[in-house]
Amino acid sequence: MIQMKQINHQFIIGKKKRKTIVPVLENVNFQIKQGEIVTIVGKSGSGKSTLLNLLSGYIRPTNGEIFIKDQNVTKLSEGDWADFRIQNLGFIFQSFQLIPSMTAYQNIELPLILKGASNIARKQQALDMLEMVGLSDHADYYPNELSGGQQQRVSIARALVVKPPIILADEPTGSLDSENEQELLNFIQKLNRDLNITFLIITHDDQVAAIGHRTLLIKDGKLQEEKVHEVHR
Amino acid sequence: MKFIDKIRFVRQNMKKNRMRVFMTVLATAIGCAFLIMLASVGFGLQKSIITDLTEGKVLNEIYIHGKEDPGPENKSYMSDKDIEYFESIDNVKAVTRLQYLHYSQEAVVSIEDYQIQPRVAVSYFPAEVEMGMELSEGRLPSTDNEVLVGYNFKEYLEKPSEDANEPKVSYEDELIGQNLQLKIRKFDQTGNIEYKTIPLKVVGIKEKLANEFDKDTNITISDALFQQIEEFTQTKKGEVLFQEIEYEEDYLDGVQLNGERLYDRVSVYTQNVEQVKGVSEEIREKGYINTSVTDQIQEINTLFLVMKIGLIFVGTIALIIASIGIFNTMTMAVTERSSDIGIMKAIGAHPSTIRQIFLIESSYIGILGALIGTVSAFVLSKAVNIGLPFLIETMSEESSPEGLMFSYIPLSLVVISASISILVAVFSGWRPAKKATSVDVLKAMRRDL
Ligand SMILES: Nc1ncnc2c1ncn2[C@@H]1O[C@H](COP(=O)(O)OP(=O)(O)OP(=O)(O)O)[C@@H](O)[C@H]1O
Ligand SMILES: [Mg+2]
Repeated sequence: MIQMKQINHQFIIGKKKRKTIVPVLENVNFQIKQGEIVTIVGKSGSGKSTLLNLLSGYIRPTNGEIFIKDQNVTKLSEGDWADFRIQNLGFIFQSFQLIPSMTAYQNIELPLILKGASNIARKQQALDMLEMVGLSDHADYYPNELSGGQQQRVSIARALVVKPPIILADEPTGSLDSENEQELLNFIQKLNRDLNITFLIITHDDQVAAIGHRTLLIKDGKLQEEKVHEVHR
Repeated sequence: MKFIDKIRFVRQNMKKNRMRVFMTVLATAIGCAFLIMLASVGFGLQKSIITDLTEGKVLNEIYIHGKEDPGPENKSYMSDKDIEYFESIDNVKAVTRLQYLHYSQEAVVSIEDYQIQPRVAVSYFPAEVEMGMELSEGRLPSTDNEVLVGYNFKEYLEKPSEDANEPKVSYEDELIGQNLQLKIRKFDQTGNIEYKTIPLKVVGIKEKLANEFDKDTNITISDALFQQIEEFTQTKKGEVLFQEIEYEEDYLDGVQLNGERLYDRVSVYTQNVEQVKGVSEEIREKGYINTSVTDQIQEINTLFLVMKIGLIFVGTIALIIASIGIFNTMTMAVTERSSDIGIMKAIGAHPSTIRQIFLIESSYIGILGALIGTVSAFVLSKAVNIGLPFLIETMSEESSPEGLMFSYIPLSLVVISASISILVAVFSGWRPAKKATSVDVLKAMRRDL
């Protein structure tokens, strides 16, 4: 489902004359199968977010190749990446990234609009999603009128509304209390079971890491070890 | 993303900053109205002048002035040979031709004590009738001595009075059926003046001329009578050769009677206005100098075209100033919404979608501005056309020329200025829209924070 081959990534800081090269990822290779929940852990600054940004197409690897759904996405143009994203990927961000001027309902509807869905289908699916995340009576609330947990649920609903086969999440529980966190983890596992959605979740929380079928550790830009949680098998 | 959704999206975005959008639309509307008003003066003047020029004129008439290279003896007159040629050209409907009695004849027409010194003409009735000559009274002449008179003939048929201060008395009675006397003259061999009086009978009066300032006092006689006069004077057109003048040999040869008719005024009419240009050029190539109203209109139109382009150009400057406002508004909109744009891109909005959304927004401003500007320009134009004549009258105590249109807005002007407005709007939205597409997803989301 997802594969990274010989990925190296480095950032270049500063202007032409005084530029410094910051190597972040070195020789990263891994593969994720369909229906897996894979968690990624590592110290702050180890390159977790960078890895996810590469998989999202927000940045391009210095070298190496990335395959998603058997498609080489390494050299996709910006527009093609956009189309690929809307078709295949759902995103859950640490700070939710809801559009503040849109209601919960409108935020959830947005991916459907971008995809060009019809009015009726849009309404049906967005309302279904709202119900699924238990926010049916908060449809017309704006993000700043919702609690952190509710906002995160809206953002999950937005990620799921187009029924993507893969969901990428960067610290999805970072802004949640333990109760909301547990709720979200249960939800992820349910989606994985029921809809066979593949998850890649970055976290520094052991409890979150534990829901993965496998956990990848990144250390100094290298994929250090892989821990398989037999519990889930 | 569907187009209708983009529009909906744009409308929502615009609602968020109504005041700013309104001011930008206002600036565009003012620019557009200014452009239309400025150019409408050019259009208005052109229309007034063309209307004035063509009033009562026949547009398919080509007036023949003469030949570029007139022969030695026949001066610039057209002969039957020329007429024959004109009539042979394709698309020519009719050729009207007039012969005038020579001015030196100073023929006098009288009835009772009343007198007039009219222009004596011979016309070719079939062509005249075909071209719509109408009589206000009576009928066309059928015998040699029957004549037609101009509409104003009677008015100028006056009793001569001794005292120049006394008002002249015009002939009042019915003219149709009356007998007139035409008095012509010549010098005999001994140098004595010899008169001849020819009886005429009025059978018809011509229609009033289209332009009310033109007075028609002509008298139209038959060709036979005209020849009779030529026989009497033994000169072409009844020219009087004065004893005291030494004419050149060539000149005297020229006025010799030789059975040829010489026409003073020849007009060629085409079947329709479109053919005027072609026929006029064909005739010109053959060496005939000619003009047509259509020609003149074309010249005037070319002149006004230059003027209108100039005015539109100046007016466009106002729109360009307004476009700075649009540019500003759009740039601010992009900056304000850059985090929204980032989020949209992050979940899969195509860059072209983002660009289109902003281009739609700027063209929306352009369209709205053009619409409001056009409507206001129409209102303003109406007000100017009504108000300015009043103003001129009160300021200069002189009435403004009747029917003068100060401002005229044809559809073409609306189309031109609306297109310019929208084009300018789209153009000024281009860079902001491009800026929007290049918003960096990660920076916008500050995802790493
Ligand atoms: N845009 C960038 N330009 C330059 N350096 C960057 C950029 N983004 C990240 N880095 C560097 O890359 C390294 C990895 O950053 P990254 O955000 O991937 O860490 P992380 O593992 O997600 O850390 P955290 O757990 O704190 O989120 C860091 O040293 C960071 O300074
Ligand atoms: Mg991170």
